[in-house]
Amino acid sequence: MFTNLTKLDLKDKECMSDAGSPKLCMKALPGEGAERSCAYDGARVVLMPITDVAHLVHGPIACAGNSWDNRGARSSGSQLYRRGLTTDIMENDVVYGGEIKLKESVLEIAAKHDPKAIFVYATCVSSLIGDDVEKVCREAEAELTIPVIAVNCPGFLGDKNIGNRIAGEVLYDRVIGSAAGSDEKIPLSINLIGEYNIAGDLWGVLPDLKNLGITLQTAITGDAKFDDLRSAHRASLNVLICSKSLTNLVRKMEIRYGIPFMEGSFYGIHDTSETLIKIAKALGDPDLVERTLVYVQKKEDETRKTIAGYKKLLENKQAILFTGGVKTWSMVSTLAELGINILAGGTQNSTPEDFQRMKQLMDPSAQIIEDTSSAGFLKIIAEKKPDLIVAGGKTKYLAHKTRTPFLDINHGRKLPYAGYQGMITFAETLARTVLSPVWGHLKREFPPREGELDD
Amino acid sequence: MTKLRHYNGNPQKNSPALGATLAFLGVNGLLALLHGSQGCSSFIRLQLSRHYKEPIPLNSTALLEESVIFGGWDHLKKGIAVAADKYKPQIIGVMSSGLTETYGDDMVSALASLRLERPDLEDLPVVLAGTPDYIGSMQEGYQRTVEALLMTLAGKTSKTKSPGLANSNDAPSVALLPGCHLTPGDVDELKEIVKSFGYRVITVPDLSISLDGHAELEAAPVVQGGTLIEEFQRLPECKACFSFGLSMEKAGEFLKKTYEIPHFNSPSLTGLTATDRFILTLAKISGKTIPERLLRQRSRLLDTLADYHDQLGGQKIAIALEMDLLYSLGSCLVEVGSEIPVALSASQGSGNTLSLPFPVEVGDLETLEERAADCDLIIANSNGRQAAGMLKVPHLRAGLPVFDRAGYPQKRWIGYEGTQQFLFDMLNSLS
Repeated sequence: MFTNLTKLDLKDKECMSDAGSPKLCMKALPGEGAERSCAYDGARVVLMPITDVAHLVHGPIACAGNSWDNRGARSSGSQLYRRGLTTDIMENDVVYGGEIKLKESVLEIAAKHDPKAIFVYATCVSSLIGDDVEKVCREAEAELTIPVIAVNCPGFLGDKNIGNRIAGEVLYDRVIGSAAGSDEKIPLSINLIGEYNIAGDLWGVLPDLKNLGITLQTAITGDAKFDDLRSAHRASLNVLICSKSLTNLVRKMEIRYGIPFMEGSFYGIHDTSETLIKIAKALGDPDLVERTLVYVQKKEDETRKTIAGYKKLLENKQAILFTGGVKTWSMVSTLAELGINILAGGTQNSTPEDFQRMKQLMDPSAQIIEDTSSAGFLKIIAEKKPDLIVAGGKTKYLAHKTRTPFLDINHGRKLPYAGYQGMITFAETLARTVLSPVWGHLKREFPPREGELDD
Repeated sequence: MTKLRHYNGNPQKNSPALGATLAFLGVNGLLALLHGSQGCSSFIRLQLSRHYKEPIPLNSTALLEESVIFGGWDHLKKGIAVAADKYKPQIIGVMSSGLTETYGDDMVSALASLRLERPDLEDLPVVLAGTPDYIGSMQEGYQRTVEALLMTLAGKTSKTKSPGLANSNDAPSVALLPGCHLTPGDVDELKEIVKSFGYRVITVPDLSISLDGHAELEAAPVVQGGTLIEEFQRLPECKACFSFGLSMEKAGEFLKKTYEIPHFNSPSLTGLTATDRFILTLAKISGKTIPERLLRQRSRLLDTLADYHDQLGGQKIAIALEMDLLYSLGSCLVEVGSEIPVALSASQGSGNTLSLPFPVEVGDLETLEERAADCDLIIANSNGRQAAGMLKVPHLRAGLPVFDRAGYPQKRWIGYEGTQQFLFDMLNSLS
C-alpha cells in the first residue's frame, strides 16, 4: 500500500545546507526535543477545516482522541468537521485487522451524520497491521452516494510538511474538478490556498476582496464547503497564502486546469496591500488594478492612522520571533511596521525560500535560532532578554515561566490577524500583552531584599 | 456493554500515553520520552498544555518509515542518550506507543544495550512504561506508569545520592498514591489532610508541586517540582500506604507486599461517606484525634446538605468521565439524592470490581448526546460542549481536558470542603 506514496516525491529534494540557515528539512533527531509533529497531523491541518464532511481517523485513540476539535479553524455553516470521529483501534483490531470495523464505521457515519463526503485517515497502527484503507473506502463508496476518500497519512512518513502535501494530492486527485456542473472559468475569481480561517482570519480578508469585486471561489480549506472545493478548478487564479507544502497542488492545477498561481500573505499592512495588487495584476483586469491601487492606499492610510497609537507604545521594543511557514517572513514585516526590532528569529516547518526571505528582511545583527527545542528556546531567551516573544502556542507557557510577554500567532489564538482589520487587532493585542501590568509584578522580588522595604 | 456502533464519536477518551506523561510530570527532574512518531508527543503536549496552561516536557524518539521497517530499537537507544546528554535530566521516563507496541520493540533490552555502550549513563534512572494506545485510556496509562515508577525507583539508592535517613525524632512517613482523577489542587488538599494527622508524606506522583501552575524562579525544560528521587529511595521507611482511585490499588499492593506495610485504598474521596471513611482510617492508624479544622469543614458540609437537599434531590445528571472520577462524583451525587440516568466511562477501568450505585457503560460523547436530552445537567470534560450545546443542557466541566474554563488544575473536588464546593458548582450550573 505504500507504493503510491513514492509518486508524491516525498523525499524533499529542496533540502538545502545553506550556510547559517537551520537544517529545515532535516529529520528530527530522536530525543532532542525538536519534533515537528507528524504526517497525519499535517494532513488533518489541511483537510479538517472542510466543514460539511466527516473526518474519520482510522487509528488508536492517540491520533484523534488527543487532537479532535483543537484547532481554531472556524465555519460559517456546518459544524460537522468539528466532530471527533475515529475507529478507536483496540487490541483485538490489532490482532484481527480493522477493515471490517472501518467499513461499518463509514457506513454508520454516512447514515447518522449525512456528510457531503467522508475523509478517512490512515495512521501508523492501521498501516502497520496492513489495513487497506483505500480498498475499504472504495467498497464503502460503492454502497453510498457520497465520495469516501482515503488519506494515506501514517505519522511515520515524516513531519507535518509531508502530511500537508499528501492532503494536497488527495484534494487534487479526488476533489477538485469532480463537480458535475460547468467547468467554465469564473472571471475575477480566486482560490486562497493554505488559508484555514484560523480564528476567522479569512473573514478579515473577504470584505476587501468583495470591495474590489474579486470573487472567492473557495479557500483551501478554511470555511470550505465540499461542493465549492469540487469547483475550485473554475477559479481564474490560485493564491498560495501559507504552507508552501501545497505548492504541489497549485502546480498540478496549473498544468491540468491552466490556473496560474502566485504567492501572497495577508499578515501585515505591507504584505496585504502587495498581495491585493499582485492578485489584481495577475487577474489581468486593468480596471481592477486601478481600483486596487486606490483602495489599498486608502486602507493603508486608515489602518496606519488607527494603529499609530499602538506603534508609539511598541516602538523600539525588542522581540524574539519564532514561527513557521509563510508567517515567518510575513511576521518580520508586520513587527517592523510597529517599530519592533527582532533580536532573533527562528522557524519550523518553513521551506528554504521562506527562510531566506525572512533572513533578508531581518536586521543582519538578528540571530538565527538553530536549536528549536525547548532547551534551545530557553537559552536564547536568557541570552537576549527580549521585551516580547511572538511565536506559536506550544512555547507559550514555557515563555511565561521566563516572565516574558508572549503573543501566540498560531492556531491556538482566539483573534484574527489577517488583512487590514487583522493588523489593527494584532497591534491592539500585542500592545495589551507587552504593556500588561502583570509583568512588573512577576519581576518584582518578594520578599524585597533588605533596605528596599521602604521603596 | 452493548456495542451500538463501530466508531467512537466525539471521544472522551485520552490516550494511555497521555496518562503516562501525566504520571511522569509528577516526578522532579524527569524528562519524558515517547517512543513513537512525532505526532504522538506533539498532540499530548498540546492537549496537556491547554488543560494545565503549563509547558509539558515530553520529547519523542521521532520514528520514521525506516524504523517502522527495521524496528525502532536503535532509535530508542539513541533517543535516551540524546535526551540524557542534552537535557541532563535526573530521570528519564519512557513510554511506548501504539506504533512501537504493534511491531514489538523490546524497550528493556534496548536500555540494557545502551547501558553497556554508555557506562557513564549507568547511574541515570530510566523508567520504562508500556502504554500501547490501543489498550485503555488515560487512566490505564497513568496507572501502568505509576507502577513502573515504583518498581524501578522505590528503595533504590543511587551511587551519587544517598537518601537522608529518617531521624528517630521525625514524624512517621506514609506513602500517598493519588490517581489521575485527582487535580494538583486535590493532591495538595490530600497532603494537608494526611499531614494534619501527624504524618510526613511521600506522594507519588506529586502533581501538586509540579503542575499546580506556579511561577518558576528559573524555567527549565525538565519537570520542576514533583516527587524527589530521594523520596522514592525513602519509600521503604513508610509506615503505611494510601492509594486513591481503584486504578491505584495495584500500585499500593506492590508497596504493601514489598515493604510489608498496611495499604488502604480509597476508591473515592468525594462525598461525605467517602471522606468520613478516609478520615476515620487516618484517625485509627495514627491514634490521633480528628483535627478541629476537619470537623468544622464536615459540619459546614452537613449544613449545606440540609440547606440544599431539595435542590440536590431528584436532579437527573448525565456523567461522562474516566472511570475513577466518574465513580467519585457519581457516588457523591447519589449520596445527596440525585439520579444518574446516564453514566459513560472512557474505558473499562476497574469499574467491574466496584459495586456502583448506578449502571455504567463504556461510551463516547456522541452517546452522551443521544442519551442526555432529558437530563438536568451534563458533567463531562470540555469536549462535552458539543453535546451540551446541541441539547441545551447545562454543562459542568470535570476531568481532562478542560480548556474553556479557568482554574481547573487548581480546583478541589475532595474532602469535606472539596465536596461542598463540587455541590455548589453543580447547583450554580443548574440555575
